[in-house]
Amino acid sequence: MNAIVYRGVGFAYPDSDPVLAQVQLDVRAGEILLVAGPSGSGKSTLLRCANGLVPHASGGRFTGDVVAFGRSTRTHPPRRLADVVGFVHQHPESQFVVDQVEADIAFVLENLGMAPMAMRRRVEEVLDALGIAHLRDRSPASLSGGEQQRCAIAGALAAAPSAIILDEPTSQLDPQGAEDVLAAVGRLNSDLGTTVLVAEHRLERAAPLAHRALLLGETATAATGARAVPSPGPVGDVLAAYAGAPAVTRLGRLLGWEPPPLTVRHARDLARAMTLELPLPERSPFRAPGETLISAKGIDAGRGGRAVLRGIDLEVGRGEVVALLGRNGSGKTTLLRALAGLDPPSRGELLRPGSIAYVPQDPDSLLLGPTVRADVETTCRLLGLRDPGRVERWLEALDLLDLAGRHPRDLSAGERQRLAIAAIAVGQPDVLLLDEPTRGMDAQSRVALESLLRERISTSHAAAVLATHDVELAARCATRVVVLGDGETVADGPARSVLSGSLFAPQVLRVLPPFLTVEEVGAALGPSHVVPT
Amino acid sequence: MTTAQPLHAVAWLVWAVAAAASLELAPSPLYVALVVAVAVVVVSVHGRDTAVARTSFSVLLVFGVLFAGVRILLTSLTTHAGDHVLFTLPHVDLPRLLGGFRMGGTVELPVLLQASAEAFVVVGVMAVFGAFNAVVSHHELVQSAPRAFYEVGLVVTVAVAFVPSTLATVHRVGEADLARTGGRVVRRGRLLRRALPVLESGLERSLALAESMDSRGFGHAGTSTTDRVSGSLLLMALVGLAGAFVALVGRAGGLAVAMGLAGSASLAAAVTVASRRAERVRYRPRRMKREDFVVSGVCLLAPCGLALLALGRDASLVWSASPLRLPALNLLAVLALAFLVAPALCRARQQSPSLSGPADAATALVA
Repeated sequence: MNAIVYRGVGFAYPDSDPVLAQVQLDVRAGEILLVAGPSGSGKSTLLRCANGLVPHASGGRFTGDVVAFGRSTRTHPPRRLADVVGFVHQHPESQFVVDQVEADIAFVLENLGMAPMAMRRRVEEVLDALGIAHLRDRSPASLSGGEQQRCAIAGALAAAPSAIILDEPTSQLDPQGAEDVLAAVGRLNSDLGTTVLVAEHRLERAAPLAHRALLLGETATAATGARAVPSPGPVGDVLAAYAGAPAVTRLGRLLGWEPPPLTVRHARDLARAMTLELPLPERSPFRAPGETLISAKGIDAGRGGRAVLRGIDLEVGRGEVVALLGRNGSGKTTLLRALAGLDPPSRGELLRPGSIAYVPQDPDSLLLGPTVRADVETTCRLLGLRDPGRVERWLEALDLLDLAGRHPRDLSAGERQRLAIAAIAVGQPDVLLLDEPTRGMDAQSRVALESLLRERISTSHAAAVLATHDVELAARCATRVVVLGDGETVADGPARSVLSGSLFAPQVLRVLPPFLTVEEVGAALGPSHVVPT
Repeated sequence: MTTAQPLHAVAWLVWAVAAAASLELAPSPLYVALVVAVAVVVVSVHGRDTAVARTSFSVLLVFGVLFAGVRILLTSLTTHAGDHVLFTLPHVDLPRLLGGFRMGGTVELPVLLQASAEAFVVVGVMAVFGAFNAVVSHHELVQSAPRAFYEVGLVVTVAVAFVPSTLATVHRVGEADLARTGGRVVRRGRLLRRALPVLESGLERSLALAESMDSRGFGHAGTSTTDRVSGSLLLMALVGLAGAFVALVGRAGGLAVAMGLAGSASLAAAVTVASRRAERVRYRPRRMKREDFVVSGVCLLAPCGLALLALGRDASLVWSASPLRLPALNLLAVLALAFLVAPALCRARQQSPSLSGPADAATALVA
């Protein structure tokens, strides 16, 4: 039985290439269908068709028909589908109407005019289904991102819809929040049989949950102006060819495992079953750090008089890429802000002989428009830099040349993040401080960022410090990893030695120690193997 | 911290009205200071843990102080009376067309003090309004309002919720602007550089919110004829009342009365028409409890007591700077104002220990 049926669906904004064309898709009742693909491949549009937000809230040219549980979205706007299809989008904080969790969850029920007793019961059930009963009296604005997103799902789920649409629900969350949200989604599906249509970038956790996956193509093919939407298939097979697939899946493809594994556990079983003689990876591909650019000795720092960091020592030299890891609230952002001079340390000694620039966590606060190129040029103008090639160089370094004429607000979260990095890095500071650079990034953006960090910084003798939850990023491009816990340094050393044996370990290291990345395994296998990207 | 409140939103509304009325009845600086102190106490005891509540008191107080400052400045520049000249400024005489009064010139002490006392009342009103916003649940207030005001109320609630998040965005954008130049301050074009991202982020947020509301069935029932009728009646009421206000300012008494009556009549008609329609279902509507009625009643004693004192020609209620003297204090008036502290004496509602707490921790561990 099919829950949502797409028949010949096409969509285009006025005066631009079609985003979707001739989509035929059946979402089966009770399944979790994962939609993956690079930014701008039409994932959001595909999902927003399911409850009529496209075309009712978007405008544009819409062809074909989407039927959700027997109701066509042509005749039913989103508000008339609220009882069968729930929708949750990417930014958790912008979807609350009432400043109290419980009342916000009841909002949909009041709109549907449900009887008070039934309403009361439904809200209690949803609070338990998502494990947020203890948050019922709180204000959504005071919650963490993961909690907010679970409350938003509860708000969509209260009407007991048969299907729920999640548009990148975890892309703005830290790993713990993402795990909570996805666990809740899995529980809903297995306990209540709710059909789930979910788009994700962070596939490590989402892929094992899904029953089927759908990979949307790269940007539109030039010839027809439309792109083919392939039909969904088994998750491992669909994702194996995709650059954003989980590291174990790509490792499986490299080593010829069938079907490609989705979890570390499965991959470990497969690795045990085969004997693999590989030369050990080179000790360190990076050179020793050069002249010191930042030297912090025993600094205390915090915001609003509250000390978050206590006695931190950190030296950063030329050619180093330092990754700061640690849970939420461990002081990563505070340390970056202290190094940037935004929150000056209250104690200790901080020397900054090099020039330093800080890329804040929220890229939107840097976006002025009207075009991507203008945004990067603004920085040059403010800094009095008159080298015309510089803007082009940085647009190219972050893979933004194709987007240079677009309005920044039209970009996806990952593209915006890249633009923010370009707009700051174009000043070519000695040290670049990046706060959660891979938040909301798709695979393509991540590749661009990684090559920037690996090549540009280590060859042009600059340095970078990144605060991140993304262990794979740290494994692939950090020369040094510093782990913070409760405002103190817990570990500091080369990536391989800090990451091995820790709970933070990247997937490949857990399957095939001491290798950190798929690329390292590929290099060890020799030139006969080609690393899938 | 929770958003729970010991008192009903309507009780808070009564408190705010009583406090504002007391300010009007007893505008002497000493009494105004007392009311401001009461507002501070109420906020510190019952301030809710929401972004709006945390910012509203301080933001509105700052607005009040700024407004008061402007008022003092303008009054002392344009009004000249008495001989206690503090200092003399260069002056210009405005042409007759613009009122023909003198800007600048002598600044007299009584004028300055009188203006300050009047401006302090404005600060007091803003403090009361800020405290009201810090303690009341706007959602509860909207839920208690007649059906006709539901949509309008919801729009206002959502708009109010945008204020703190916009302030946070302003702060973030300012930091990002500094980050762009590596900490160097570039003043040229700074306002535009900082305003654009704030506006665009606000626009994006409102679109997302509109979509979220649409996806959650807002306006599910569609608009009926009664809605349209009550909507147009409401619009007429708004025009009528606004016209009455303009007429009042323009000192056209008769017209003001006529427009005011017409406005009130269509307002009443709008409420009646809208309420005839099937009642909007409300989730866990909060009813006024005995405690709420008691507190409301006690609060109302304050303006009533002051009104009695005013009838008895109590000279301490209103202070005037000429002849120059210290403001007097009547203990009876202080006693009347003390009734306004009543809400602060209610205990905060104890949250029942959550049964699901340990269970949640257990599932989190398993996960």
